Amino acid sequence: MEYKVIGKRVKRVEDPRLLTGKALFVGDVSLHGMLYAAFFRSDYAHAKVISIDVNPALKVPGVVGVYTAEDMGDDWEPGPPLVSPPPTLENVVFNSRRQVPLVKDKVKHAGEIIAVVVAESRYIAEDAVEEILVEFEPLPAVVDLEKCLEPGSVLVHDDLDTNLAAHLIQNKGDYEGARKEADLVITRRFHLDRGAAAAMENRGIVADWDEKNQFLTVWDATQSPIPIRNGLAARLGLNSRQVRVVAPFVGGGFGPKIMMFYAEEMVLPWISMKLGVPIKWIEDRRENFYATTQEREQIHEVELALSKEGYILGVKQKFIHDTGAFNPYGLTTPLNTQSHSMGGYDIENYHSEVTVVFTNKIIVTPVRGAGRPQGIYIIERMLDIAARELELDPMEIRRLNFIPPDAFPYEHKIIDQAFAPLVLDSGNYEPAFNKALEMLGYEDFIKEEQPRLRAAGKSVGIGVVPFIETTGVGPYEGARVSVEPSGKVSAATGVGTQGQSHMTSFAQIIAEQLGVEVQDVSLVSGDTAEFYWGTGTFASRGAVVAGNAVHAAAKDVRHKVLKLASKILETPEEELELEDGTVRVADKPEKSISLGELALLANPLRGAVEPGTEPGLESTKYFGPAFGATAFGVHGMILEVDPETMMIKILKYIAVEDCGTMLNPLVVEGQIHGGVSMGIGNAYYEKLHYDENGQLLNASLADYLIPGSTEMPHIEVYHMNTPAPNNELGTKGVGEAGAIPVPAVFAQALENALPDYDLEILETPLSPNRLFELLHKREEKS
Amino acid sequence: MKVEGEHLFNGSRQQVWDLFRDTEVMAAALPGTEKMEFVGDNTYEAVMNVRVGPVAGEFSGKLVISNEKFPESYTMTVDGRGKPGFLKGSGDIILLDQGESGTLMKYVGEVQIGGRLAGVGQRLIDTVSKSIINQAFETLDQVLAERTAAGKEGREAIYKAASEGDYAAAVTKDMLSAPWMKWVLGTVVLVGIALFLLFMIIR
Repeated sequence: MEYKVIGKRVKRVEDPRLLTGKALFVGDVSLHGMLYAAFFRSDYAHAKVISIDVNPALKVPGVVGVYTAEDMGDDWEPGPPLVSPPPTLENVVFNSRRQVPLVKDKVKHAGEIIAVVVAESRYIAEDAVEEILVEFEPLPAVVDLEKCLEPGSVLVHDDLDTNLAAHLIQNKGDYEGARKEADLVITRRFHLDRGAAAAMENRGIVADWDEKNQFLTVWDATQSPIPIRNGLAARLGLNSRQVRVVAPFVGGGFGPKIMMFYAEEMVLPWISMKLGVPIKWIEDRRENFYATTQEREQIHEVELALSKEGYILGVKQKFIHDTGAFNPYGLTTPLNTQSHSMGGYDIENYHSEVTVVFTNKIIVTPVRGAGRPQGIYIIERMLDIAARELELDPMEIRRLNFIPPDAFPYEHKIIDQAFAPLVLDSGNYEPAFNKALEMLGYEDFIKEEQPRLRAAGKSVGIGVVPFIETTGVGPYEGARVSVEPSGKVSAATGVGTQGQSHMTSFAQIIAEQLGVEVQDVSLVSGDTAEFYWGTGTFASRGAVVAGNAVHAAAKDVRHKVLKLASKILETPEEELELEDGTVRVADKPEKSISLGELALLANPLRGAVEPGTEPGLESTKYFGPAFGATAFGVHGMILEVDPETMMIKILKYIAVEDCGTMLNPLVVEGQIHGGVSMGIGNAYYEKLHYDENGQLLNASLADYLIPGSTEMPHIEVYHMNTPAPNNELGTKGVGEAGAIPVPAVFAQALENALPDYDLEILETPLSPNRLFELLHKREEKS
Repeated sequence: MKVEGEHLFNGSRQQVWDLFRDTEVMAAALPGTEKMEFVGDNTYEAVMNVRVGPVAGEFSGKLVISNEKFPESYTMTVDGRGKPGFLKGSGDIILLDQGESGTLMKYVGEVQIGGRLAGVGQRLIDTVSKSIINQAFETLDQVLAERTAAGKEGREAIYKAASEGDYAAAVTKDMLSAPWMKWVLGTVVLVGIALFLLFMIIR
């Protein structure tokens, strides 16, 4: 379909405010009489709390209160379960253990909160925290994903007789049968380690209980204000109309700002209600390392069965997923790994066993990619190894196995993270793959450039990895669109913004229908007072789920506009056109009425609104897809390794992406750029180092390295469009896509750059040090 | 993490053992020592200020001595906690008679560190702890030499304690000379070894 506004490179309407410091973040919220909170967090990863003495802190001038679990009495309760285990699978083990607002008896990860100080300033609160005396009995920490399952292991949760958080098997076809027919069976073990999301803005909360109005307002840097509102109301004994949660501008979410019900999110509103004053807390960077969720640690044992021609006959994998001390987010991440370990390949036989374990480490919830980068890493690494063993072209082995375009919708016969059948709704993989090779100059590089550079003593390598991403899952989102008497349009939706450009791309959808300028649409997202229903911004679903709700509401308003104009202009609707904020009779442009005038007439002060109609030019609509929309893409790069320092230089980086209908290519490219930068971090810089006691050893941005502008290559993006068949706009998500294939691309390119070492990379993240160690090991062997 | 190292003292085992028992000498050798006391049952408590890069603050620790075999060896267990984090560890101290060359002191143990000290100070610990140890050994060597000289001359030994300024200068020097990423064999954790030395003196 041809659009006039959708799909255009419209500059972001939110940028002037953001760039001139006029956008509200939680840190900007300042209220009369506001107090400040600071937290006493455990240094130990695993320890019994023997005693807590808060009296010295209470004596600090300026301290208003100090609270521990005991003070919460019956209000003390673990966080709500967010995602239950899949109901459709048999023999699922799922032990739910959720984070607590304040530690009662035993610390289960470093950074857990023992006490909170409320004072006149953050300075005083921080100083007072240091006066609190807590006696701990340190316990050995559970850290290793495999040892923690051995009999006699120390337990994270004493009320469970195991560290097993979950176990499930998904099965498709008959792997063992396929294995018997295979010409080649490859077995490998992979260790994928943890990283942080490290959003630029840390978390932050201001809670304000208004006693006289009996109303709670919470500003929260969250991705999901509506579930937070619902949860707070339930926990605090309020009805949900007494609670407003506002997620204003948020400086990056990337998953961990999901509706986790972080301890702080529960504790601040609770204290505000006790004291009847507003309370503020902004997470500092060090707290962020200990208190905000992380992801990605998994150990995989993988088997790939192939024919000698290179066809995949089956995949079998067993993996352990580390959920940290608690598992509020259920099985989302490991289910995503399961779904993506087949990539975009036509795999008939698949056996996948997941074991989730509790450890004394920071809680795990999805981080941009959410288990998908691990899945893609596994299958792509295995294919690289298979190509080598079968002496096949590594690009050809992928082409051989792609799901063909006429096989969609392709049913995988397992369930996905949303517990729906894993159905790849659409795809066209080979053209995307070929385009990537062409952009990269693959043939030329392999045949001419690489040999020439190698002869000149340079270690250059190339990597190309296709991937898929299941996006746009339900349950639903909604939107409200209204024409104002000014002729401008206001809109609201429940999915908050953390940089996704909602105010621009959703405005484009509305402008398309209502014939107004994008700048004349003002959208509020993430304020429960503006939109009541919904879930939040996660799982690459905004453009699909909220986008289609916005589209439906805008279409309905268009319908109302034309209907009313038809009456007033005494012309059939089909003869009317809606452009430049005005409804005109197509062949008599002087016969017209503006949207503003129509809005006034739709809300009259005299006369009667006809029965069966509603006042105003307004509509609220919802969209809930039965299953997701499958985006896909291919990333490729050429890199050079300095064989002495192991530092790398990315000479070329290209991304072919297909997210169906694009709302705004500028925004899509921004998402790809951001995703790739996270992916580069995941691949070569960012690793959270825990020691054997569950201590994080690089809890600062001086030691935990995030790629900066100097590590970022120029990224060339090419768009393809295979529209999603199950939503009207044809959109697919793209928020996580950029991060997904990068570690696999790196591994392939590094191996290709260092042919003399016969290197086989079976882990991520790497680093210059780690690459040096790996090469050293290979040298010792040979 | 493993704590390991050795130092050759120019004196007999008896002399070295005595040196370590001299509270005044040892407190002077270790900057930041606030107080220490014997609380019975081979257990000692002490308070000291530490600074590892951006991490600074007061530490209070408890130490237990066991397996004492004068003048050869003993085992000690430390458990310290403070605003900058915590440490726990245990190790063996061995004094080997080297005849004319003197006494070789060897220490080997395991130390756990946590909190801010681990999370933020990690990459500085190596350098800072080495500086402290070197400086402490330097001071102890001087005292030992002075005692030997004074013994021969039949006078009372005099020595000057190293100041905080000397310590800061030593740390700066070591920081400049040792690249952070370079892992040196015989690495010692600052606080572990500082407390360990501190507690040896109060034996």
